[in-house]
This record gives sequence, C-alpha cells and structure tokens, in this order.
Amino acid sequence: MKTVSSLLDDDWYERYKKISRLNIRSSIYDVTDRCNLRCKGCFFFSSGEHERASEEKDVSKWHDFVEKEMDRGVNLAILIGGEPTLCMDRIEAFYKRLPTFCATNGLIKVPRDRFPDMMVGLSLWGDAEDEITLRGQDTFKITSANYEGDPHAYYLYTITPKQLGKMEKIIKKIEGVGLKVHMQLLSNDEDVNGFSWQPEELIAVRAEMDGMLDAYPGTVVSSKYYHEVIATGKMLDRTFGWSECPSVTILRDNRNPQPKRLTNFIRYASDLKTVHRCCTSETRNCSTCKDGAAHMSWVMVNKRAHIKTTKDLQNWIEVYEMFAKLYQFIPW
Amino acid sequence: MPTDTTQIITRIAEIIINELKLEDVTPETFEADLDLVDEVGIDSMDLATIALVIRDEFGIRIDEDDYPKLTTVRIIAEYISNKLAENE
Repeated sequence: MKTVSSLLDDDWYERYKKISRLNIRSSIYDVTDRCNLRCKGCFFFSSGEHERASEEKDVSKWHDFVEKEMDRGVNLAILIGGEPTLCMDRIEAFYKRLPTFCATNGLIKVPRDRFPDMMVGLSLWGDAEDEITLRGQDTFKITSANYEGDPHAYYLYTITPKQLGKMEKIIKKIEGVGLKVHMQLLSNDEDVNGFSWQPEELIAVRAEMDGMLDAYPGTVVSSKYYHEVIATGKMLDRTFGWSECPSVTILRDNRNPQPKRLTNFIRYASDLKTVHRCCTSETRNCSTCKDGAAHMSWVMVNKRAHIKTTKDLQNWIEVYEMFAKLYQFIPW
Repeated sequence: MPTDTTQIITRIAEIIINELKLEDVTPETFEADLDLVDEVGIDSMDLATIALVIRDEFGIRIDEDDYPKLTTVRIIAEYISNKLAENE
C-alpha cells in the first residue's frame, strides 16, 4: 500500500501534515439579490437567480440562521450575492461566528474597524477596456484605492479569452498596490460575443497562467496543477462535469453513484430557505463550467486518488494549500 | 460479528481496505497503528463511509465529533470494544 510518507520527502510531508486535518466544511450564501453593477457574464443575474427568492430583511433571522449553520458543521462561510457589501449587518452575522470570506466587486469598502480580518475577494474582469465592456466601468481604480496593501484582501481575476497576452500588465498593477491575485476563467453564461473559450485559447491561457505564477510567485496565489485542471477540465484522466462536481447542494444531490463531494455543502439563497443546485448557476452547462472553486474542490475531495505517485500527491498538496491560503486557514 | 479487540482490528482493516479500495494490503498486513490521515490519506467523508459500515455491522453509532480521535485501526477497534461493553 502506498502511504503518504513513502511518496514525500520530509519538507513535503510537513506541508501535507499542516493541511491534512483542516476538515474545511464550506457552504455558500447569497447575502442579497441586489448589486451595484450589472456585469455581462455574471451567472447570478443572467440565470435569474436574483428572482428565485425574496430577501430575508430581519437581521435577527440571519443571526439565528448562522447559528444553525454552525450546528450543521459549517466552518467556512463564503458570501456572494448580489453584492454582499450592500448589507453589512448580514455579513456581520457570519463574521461574528465563523471564518468568513466575502466576494465583492470592491466598490464599497468593507470597514476594517468592523471586519478587521475578514478575507475579501475583489472581482476583476480584465483590463480597463474589458472591464468597461463587461461591467460598464473600470473598477480597478476604485477597488485598488479602497484596499491598497490590505493583507486580508486579494483580487479574483476572472480571465477571459480577450485577456490572452495581457495578463502580466494586470498582475503588475495588482502587485503595485500591494495585493495578491488568484486567477480563474470566465464561463460566459450569457454567450457574450468573443468571450467564449476556444480549445487553442485554453491551451494558451494555461501557459500564460503558468508564466505569471513563475514570474510573480509573491503576488499570484495559484498552482500549475490547478491551471491544468481548470483549462483542460481533466483530472487524472477523469473529466469534470455533473457526475464529478463536488459543489452540488446536498439537498439536491440525487446522483447515483455519488461522487466524492464537499461534506454537507449547501448554497442558500438570500431568503435563507431556498437552495440553489450548486455553487454557480443551474442553467450552466456543467461540461463547460470553468468555476474555479468547483475545480479546486474537485481536486481537494479526491485526495486518495492522488496518493499514487509523488508528483500527483504534490499537485494535490499545492491545490489544497492554495485554497487554504485564499480562505485564511494557513498564512500566505 | 467479531467481539474481541484483535478480531475487531482485523475486521476494521478489512472494512477500510474494501471501502477505500486500497491496493497491495490485506487485513492481516494492515498496520493497526498506522495513522489513517497522515499515512493512508483518508478524509472525513471516507470516515463517514466507514462509520456507516461499522454501524450496520456492530450496531454502534460513531458520533461525528469523535471522528478526529479515530486516527488508527487500533483506536477504532478499541472505540468499538468500549461501546459494545457499554451496551452489554
């Protein structure tokens, strides 16, 4: 039987042991159905998820809800929207009790006196030209001013096919304001013209992401195996899709056989009752889904499948470390 | 159903090998003190699967809060032995 220590040298084995018992149990929460931007390609609005439920406006019910989520074993709350920062009281209900991550467009600054160490992910969809095309404005100027040098914030850079060849300029800008960046790929649910991935573009984007990680290791939080998996949709000769995705709400998971999945994962709508199918839109084609968190989780839940060769296990460790850094379970 | 700890150790090793489809190991060669997380690489979902088989076979419900303590086959076997003794 292959054991972990038989495949790793002492340094890698220590890295493994730092993450092997974290037992991260995340769930995702829509904090609000409203947003102060309307981005082309945003699954939340393009799929009508903002109309699925009516927001719970009583803050005390948010506090009660989070208590119940903790009883359910959740130890990482991932807040999305709409735009969560439109409802700071609801964010606080999570932050007071749980490790909390807030995905935001960054236009409204999270007050650090109220949320001193909450991890904030700032969405960025490319350079100024693409930001204006897709989001109506170049958000970087505002968000970088709001969060410059913040150790608990990083950019979630959604890469589109239009960004090929331009990534370094963006990474340099982010490095210049003292922030980190994690890269993910646009799934283009709205079929915005020119923003859907072609096979040769996915090969190119993987190479470019690898190059950014090599050139800016102190700024880019990523791993080459993650780039491989997200660009190819393949992991150990398996193909990502509905039958493999780990990020399906457990209450709606009737797959048979059951794949390895996130324990008790649920994505709740902002009425705190309605659940969504998965971490992204249920109108999305799973075979072309590029959701970064789903692909990361896909690797993470399949640990034993990676205990075959030294390289496979090192790849798994790097992806898990990346996730643990992005959600503050281990330091940068 | 095995009742003494040595028998239980062998049976737990067998359950783990079967449920996790481990290769190149038998219930007899499985080291009872091998750390299941640090060495075999099992996670909480694997442990939940194993707990279901144990529940069906031994009639013992393993509390999820106890999972972090169940780090080796020997410790799991002793946990089961203690629970069986409590139930007598």
